[in-house]
Amino acid sequence: MRTLVKISGVAIHGYGGYIPRLRIKSEEIARIWGKGEGELPVKEKSVNEIDEDAITMAIEAARYAIARAEIDPKRIGAVNIGSESHPYAVKPSGTIVAEALGIGPSILSADLEFACKAGSEAMQMIIGLVSAGMIEYGLAVGSDTAQGRPGDALEYTAAAGAAAFIMGKSNNNAVAEIEASKTYVTDTPDFWRRDYERYPVHTSRFTGEPAYFHHTVSAVKALLEDEGYKLSDFDYFVFHQPNAKFPYAVAKMLGIPIQKVETGMLSHIVGNTYSACSLLGLVKVLDEAKPGQRILMTSYGSGAGSDSFALKVLDGIEEKRAKAPPLSKFIQRAVYIDYARYLKHRDKIRV
Amino acid sequence: MMFRFKVPQHWRAKQFRYRLAVYKCENCGTVHRGPVIICRKCRSTRLRQSELPRAGRLLSYTVVRQAPVGFEENAPYIVGVVEFEDGTRLLTQLTDCESEDLRTGMEVEAVVRKIAQDGPSGLIIYGYKFRPKIT
Amino acid sequence: MTRVFIKGVGLTKVEEHWDKGIDYLMAAAALDAIKNSAIERIDAIYVGNVSAEVMQYQTQLGAVASEQLGLIGVPSIRVEAADASGAAALREAYMAIASGIIKTALVIGVEKLSDGMLEEIMSITSMFDRYDYAGYQGITQTSLAALLYRHYLERYEVPQEYVAQFPVIMHENASTAPHAQYRFKISIESVMNSPIVSEPLRRLECTAAADGAAALILCGEESLEKADRSNAVEVAAVSMSTDFISPFDREDPLKLNAVLLAFNDSLARAKINRRDVNIIELHDSFSILAALILESIGYSQEGRAGIDAKSGRYSLNGGLPINTFGGLKARGHPFGATGIYQVAELYLQLAGLAGKNQVDNAKIGVALSLGGLGATAVSTVLRRE
Repeated sequence: MRTLVKISGVAIHGYGGYIPRLRIKSEEIARIWGKGEGELPVKEKSVNEIDEDAITMAIEAARYAIARAEIDPKRIGAVNIGSESHPYAVKPSGTIVAEALGIGPSILSADLEFACKAGSEAMQMIIGLVSAGMIEYGLAVGSDTAQGRPGDALEYTAAAGAAAFIMGKSNNNAVAEIEASKTYVTDTPDFWRRDYERYPVHTSRFTGEPAYFHHTVSAVKALLEDEGYKLSDFDYFVFHQPNAKFPYAVAKMLGIPIQKVETGMLSHIVGNTYSACSLLGLVKVLDEAKPGQRILMTSYGSGAGSDSFALKVLDGIEEKRAKAPPLSKFIQRAVYIDYARYLKHRDKIRV
Repeated sequence: MMFRFKVPQHWRAKQFRYRLAVYKCENCGTVHRGPVIICRKCRSTRLRQSELPRAGRLLSYTVVRQAPVGFEENAPYIVGVVEFEDGTRLLTQLTDCESEDLRTGMEVEAVVRKIAQDGPSGLIIYGYKFRPKIT
Repeated sequence: MTRVFIKGVGLTKVEEHWDKGIDYLMAAAALDAIKNSAIERIDAIYVGNVSAEVMQYQTQLGAVASEQLGLIGVPSIRVEAADASGAAALREAYMAIASGIIKTALVIGVEKLSDGMLEEIMSITSMFDRYDYAGYQGITQTSLAALLYRHYLERYEVPQEYVAQFPVIMHENASTAPHAQYRFKISIESVMNSPIVSEPLRRLECTAAADGAAALILCGEESLEKADRSNAVEVAAVSMSTDFISPFDREDPLKLNAVLLAFNDSLARAKINRRDVNIIELHDSFSILAALILESIGYSQEGRAGIDAKSGRYSLNGGLPINTFGGLKARGHPFGATGIYQVAELYLQLAGLAGKNQVDNAKIGVALSLGGLGATAVSTVLRRE
């Protein structure tokens, strides 16, 4: 796939991530549902407080992104929130996030859905708007309070979190330039949720090779081949991480050294934050990457598709990084709850 | 379809609740939580738009166990008073903590959270809450 | 200005009157007062009530009262000032008679909370503060009182037992009060061991919801017959003041300025000295308010009201008896009726009709009613002729 217009001169000016403080251990879920210890896909996952949802988390992540970008919120021309747990089915999360941060009212704002890649789609849209010169800065957020059916395999990993990026025209003082992006989308029904259904469904092993792996690898290959990159050009690889294993399996398939994947991994202790997932991996990398280094981030959303981005870290990163708390602060902030409290929080108790 | 919440009333309050946007009297410093014509304390008309700081100290706190209508599922929840550096005080809920974690005088910071919702089909009210300072 | 007197009172018991609607309750207390006063003509009716629109979906309680009392045509109005509604209604009646425009008035305080569930009652109290600031986020009157309470205990570094003494006095007094809601004594231990409602407030430091109606007949001096004069109880002054509604908006949240202003104004108008006051009926919707009121008006030093209570000063046989029939805690607190219960009880004291609760030689009594946590304050001075 060749893009008609090459991306040029678009950069991340600010970034932010947020993870709720509560955690539930997989072994606690397994205690109730009887799964064996060897089969647990992550160690533990984040659980949102009763007063948190995709909007509140998006606001906090975006606040940090704005702090790092050091811009007046009024200069932001678009707010796009990607989620599969938007609190309203009709009324964009973006409208509330915008008002909460003093953004607008001359803004574009539409919510996105594309399973776990809604956040990276939001990034694509902002890149497009900035490139077209329609906006000066744009806010892209991936945020989810993911729901897993009790007893289902996905319950071990469906977590809560948000990641936000402020993007605009590039300059040396920005955080990281978007050098290129490729996307690979097909009609592949590996995981979906029908309208009015409470929980999504998934197709077990079909979610692997024909879904996650095929789209991830295809997007990465398209980026490397069409844009002329070699794997060795990149210092960090961030993948969508629905569990602790898949990113390493992809790395093995592509011949990527696993040390380059480790920094961007967090789902083993946070779970799969869905639309925020690969974006939070990118946030984690940006918290330590150095100017001149390159990052390859590839999302995956069921249904299905992958966005792959090549980013180059710019000189402004160290100064901007310091303007907001690092993601590690939220990763380490962990208060463990038991399954009963988890059910109450995730509103799974039908009365 | 009858809603319990009066939507326009909450819509008018959103700037204060989302961003702690206030009107400050330039004559006596009194803070007003919405538009006023004259200062509630000194009656001056010299009112300036401002925002409260996003961090302060906990002046007092308690736990609500007997909830009013609409908060039954949230109970028990923690409420308190935050005092800012200039002496302004703010009533708030406390979140991301248990009551045992709290001490008067501790630093707390503002976040935006869900305050209430009008059943499964009604309005969701978002607004400030405070949590023990972590950032 | 005409001098104003209380000619008679009527009280219902404070309890959950499941079988009586608000109209019946009002009439019961009012007809009792009318009978006890032997008044022949009522020029106006004033009804103190706070929650009827929300609880009973009923407006115009004034017209309801005149209808239920067979007094259709008499000007009748409902007065509201949260739980100072009764006292505020009294003030309206007092001023109307003092001005000479009317000669007699019936003042009723009534509240019927048992029609609602506890959550609804809590919601009503959350309207006593600024609703779009406190109520909307689930902050109730109880939790606000608790916030003041913790602040008080920390500022003055006193143990909670000091303040918890007040409910003990209230229950002691109510044990011999026929119309009281709770007629059992309690110990300081039972108060301190009662369940936490909203720390540090414990269950036995808070009033419980109930229904009640109380009524007074007021008249101008010329309506008093010679036979009445010996036991005549004059309404020497009714003063009102207001403050920032939300207590933490005030310069010092522990100073009930509205109470002090109303109190001082009423003393000045009655031309008496604070040392002349024999009895105080004060608004102890929560134990901490008893301390805050006494300290705000200077009968106890800051932080020391509880110690003074323990020493017996405020007991029925003490130097300055308070809440002689149990106050809000033990006699009960049907919001809009409370202010009238307070004044009616003072009347019973000054008229020598207090039975087992009689304070001897009481000549001057003061009733202090609060709306919410001191947003409105009314001070009523009664004087025996």
